[in-house]
Amino acid sequence: MRFFPSETGQERRQQWPAVDIVRTIDGWLLRFELAGVRLEDVNLQLGRRDIVLSGVRRDHMLEQGCSFYSMEITYSRFERTVQLPTDLSGARFNLEYRDGILLVRITEAA
Amino acid sequence: MSEQTSNVHTLPALPLKNTVLFPGLLMPLSVGRTTSLKAVQTALATEEKEIILVAQKDSSVETPTHNDLYTVGTKAVIRKMNRPSDELMELLVQGVERVVVLRVDLEHEHLQVRYMPAPLPTDTGPEVQALQGALIELAGKAIELAQPQAPPELVRMLAATDDPLRLVFLLASVLSLDLEKEQALLEAQTRVEAMSLMHGYLSHEVQVLELRSKIQNAARTEMSKEQREYMLRQQMKAIQSELGEKNPEQAEVDELRERYEKEKQNLSEEARKELERELSRLERVPAQSPEHSVLRTWAELVLELPWNTYTTDNLDIANARRILDEDHFNLRDVKDRILEHLSVLKMNPGAKAPILCLVGPPGVGKTSLGQSVARALGRNFERMSLGGLHDEAELRGHRRTYIGAMPGRLIQAVRRSKAKNPVLMLDEIDKLGRDYRGDPASALLEVLDPEQNKSFRDNYLDLNWDLSKVLFITTANTLDTIPRPLLDRMEVLRLSGYSEEEKIEIAKRYLIPRQLKETGLAAPPGDAAPDPGREGYEAAGPALAPPPAQPRVVIPDETLSALIRGWTREAGLRRLERAIGRLMRKVTLRLVESNSDEAVTVRPEDLPEMLGPEPFTQEMARKEVPPGVVTGLAWTETGGDVLYIEGTLLPQGKGLTLTGQLGEVMKESAQAARSWVWSHAERLGVDLERFKETGLHIHVPAGAIPKDGPSAGITMATAVASLYTACPARSDTAMTGEITLTGLVLPIGGVKEKLLAARRAGIRRVILPTANKKDLRDLPEPVRNEMEVIFADRIEQVLAVAIPDLHDRLALVEPKVA
Repeated sequence: MRFFPSETGQERRQQWPAVDIVRTIDGWLLRFELAGVRLEDVNLQLGRRDIVLSGVRRDHMLEQGCSFYSMEITYSRFERTVQLPTDLSGARFNLEYRDGILLVRITEAA
Repeated sequence: MSEQTSNVHTLPALPLKNTVLFPGLLMPLSVGRTTSLKAVQTALATEEKEIILVAQKDSSVETPTHNDLYTVGTKAVIRKMNRPSDELMELLVQGVERVVVLRVDLEHEHLQVRYMPAPLPTDTGPEVQALQGALIELAGKAIELAQPQAPPELVRMLAATDDPLRLVFLLASVLSLDLEKEQALLEAQTRVEAMSLMHGYLSHEVQVLELRSKIQNAARTEMSKEQREYMLRQQMKAIQSELGEKNPEQAEVDELRERYEKEKQNLSEEARKELERELSRLERVPAQSPEHSVLRTWAELVLELPWNTYTTDNLDIANARRILDEDHFNLRDVKDRILEHLSVLKMNPGAKAPILCLVGPPGVGKTSLGQSVARALGRNFERMSLGGLHDEAELRGHRRTYIGAMPGRLIQAVRRSKAKNPVLMLDEIDKLGRDYRGDPASALLEVLDPEQNKSFRDNYLDLNWDLSKVLFITTANTLDTIPRPLLDRMEVLRLSGYSEEEKIEIAKRYLIPRQLKETGLAAPPGDAAPDPGREGYEAAGPALAPPPAQPRVVIPDETLSALIRGWTREAGLRRLERAIGRLMRKVTLRLVESNSDEAVTVRPEDLPEMLGPEPFTQEMARKEVPPGVVTGLAWTETGGDVLYIEGTLLPQGKGLTLTGQLGEVMKESAQAARSWVWSHAERLGVDLERFKETGLHIHVPAGAIPKDGPSAGITMATAVASLYTACPARSDTAMTGEITLTGLVLPIGGVKEKLLAARRAGIRRVILPTANKKDLRDLPEPVRNEMEVIFADRIEQVLAVAIPDLHDRLALVEPKVA
């Protein structure tokens, strides 16, 4: 029986998409790395203190008659929960998808 | 293909060997089979990149079909794919959900399965919670045993896993379980089932781990103990050198060296060289090596031996004589020999010491005489018993190469004596054994030869040692069992038994005072003049309270005499001393009981009451003897004895029959005696015609004791003559002497013992060979006066004296009367 730290660490590292959490003047900015994901495949769920981003990255760039020689980009379902130290009830949300990054702008209730 | 239910889907499948993918977990996979590569390619060509993973029942099957696969598998997403080579793919897959495989087909060169999702059980309840807690606890234990240094968050992470099935799968993935067990976990119908199974597997694992860690710990402590010792030693060395001290081994060697420097001038040249060499070797040999202690003990022995230590001899002859007389009564031969040696030493200090052998019956004081000699000479005394010694190495030591080797007993005795010229007493030299381990008597040959023992070599010491200044005194009860060459090297001094007068004297001087001291009685002054230093009241035990003023016991000479005659029969004095001791104790008891302090005089008539009836009757001599029975005298190891030689005629036999355990010499002696009588038949008045058809039987009692020697020759001749002439011999006459065929009487040994025995038996008339006249000198005056000793040169004289009826027939020269 062997518990390799990497084995369990991998579990955590595999949390994707990666997200930056930025404090803005009037609220928060979450930046999800979501290259190759169609916006219609993404679902954002809002709670009082947390935001859950889930969805699926599909390989929609398949070309007829081609096959993989190797594959490093993961195409699969994903789910990411972000907790913020504020009450989000009453906050306003703004979504923007730019250059493969999903920007979630949160303006807290004044 | 037509879908019956919307729930049934189709996906490419990968058969797994020896493993199961659990939903939610990641697993790296290597794919090499062509069909599998094809399946992966097909899966990757979809947007979702999903694939079904099903375990093979038998891992040796290369192209599994429906029946070779389990029915429960896992749908997985291929997250990464990499190709180390063209024929191999490395995948990272993540389980998504549990599925039930409905059908497996080979399509498009890969396995294609129709499956139905089989969601994991979600049952809850107290049992689930309890099992979850138990699993986390067990897992913690297992982690602690398997990886004591594992980070604590590992356990915390397990505890934080809120889905119990995920916990089970996580544990299963690290437990390297059998395929069957993993599959059973995957197929579990309820959470409780899965968790119970896992609990069982984990408990087993924990037991194995515990056992393993126990073994490892045992091995580790073993090892670390040695390492610890080594470390401590190194540290100690460092500390000692820091303090300017020496380590103990070095200190030991230095101490030996110091002693060596002190002793140096005493050692022999050889010893010096050898010791220096061994000391420098000792410095190089590590203390842990067994050789170290061998070398050290050897060096210690060499330094302890008295290489040049002599005690100064007390050359005052008068003083020496006084000491010898003080300790022992009479024994003139031995004392004279010692004094002679003293005188020689006075004239020539370098004289070789004699090697004396004291031979005599038990209890005559041989051993104590040795001590007394040492005292008289002012030398150290050491004694060793050779009785039963049968290993040559005991005497001469073992070679140092043997483990547990020791120096021989001789060198040990010398070491104990602390002088180069001690008196060494070798007791019981006649009782040396001998077996396959060698013959100690032969080893003694070297020791006891004044020419050779200058350079005695002990196997252990391995250096020459000079024994020539040692005064060896050996003791023996008999000379018969001493090998000739050994006997030849020694000067034999006989201690014969004591006469009654001597015994009385010894009892008065030594035994009674000693026993008085033992029993706490003191003899009144005047009686039995004791050595004032050897007895006193201090021995009176505290049990005698109030202390008796002056308890006394008087044993007059008559009582001693009766005691010697009636209660002892021995050449020595041991029984007499015991009897006196018993007497004293009886008296003490009587005194203590009656609480009186009257002097008690022990009368001869008191003896039977105090000691029981006398075991020996004094009058052993037969009053009347028939023709053919003659009194003879014999020498035994315990002194002399009287024996009767009995002859009888056998009306119908022929020849001579001899019985009574006789030795060859004695048998031949009997034949010579008969031949002489036959050849002189006419002179003796024997009618030969009458005895033509008659045999002769001679018996010597006691029949069970072996006898040998020629000294019964004249006795047997007298018996034969008495028988043939039918004239009885005188019963009050005993005789001893060797006979020749021509009738000469030759001298014999043991005269003193024989005469004393005759006297003890109440016989006052003894016939001896003329050549033994000189031996009478040894007899105490009263014995000599009391006995009528007749000397004879020829058998005719013997017969004339012994058989009165023949006196006239043998008109010969009158034998001389002493």
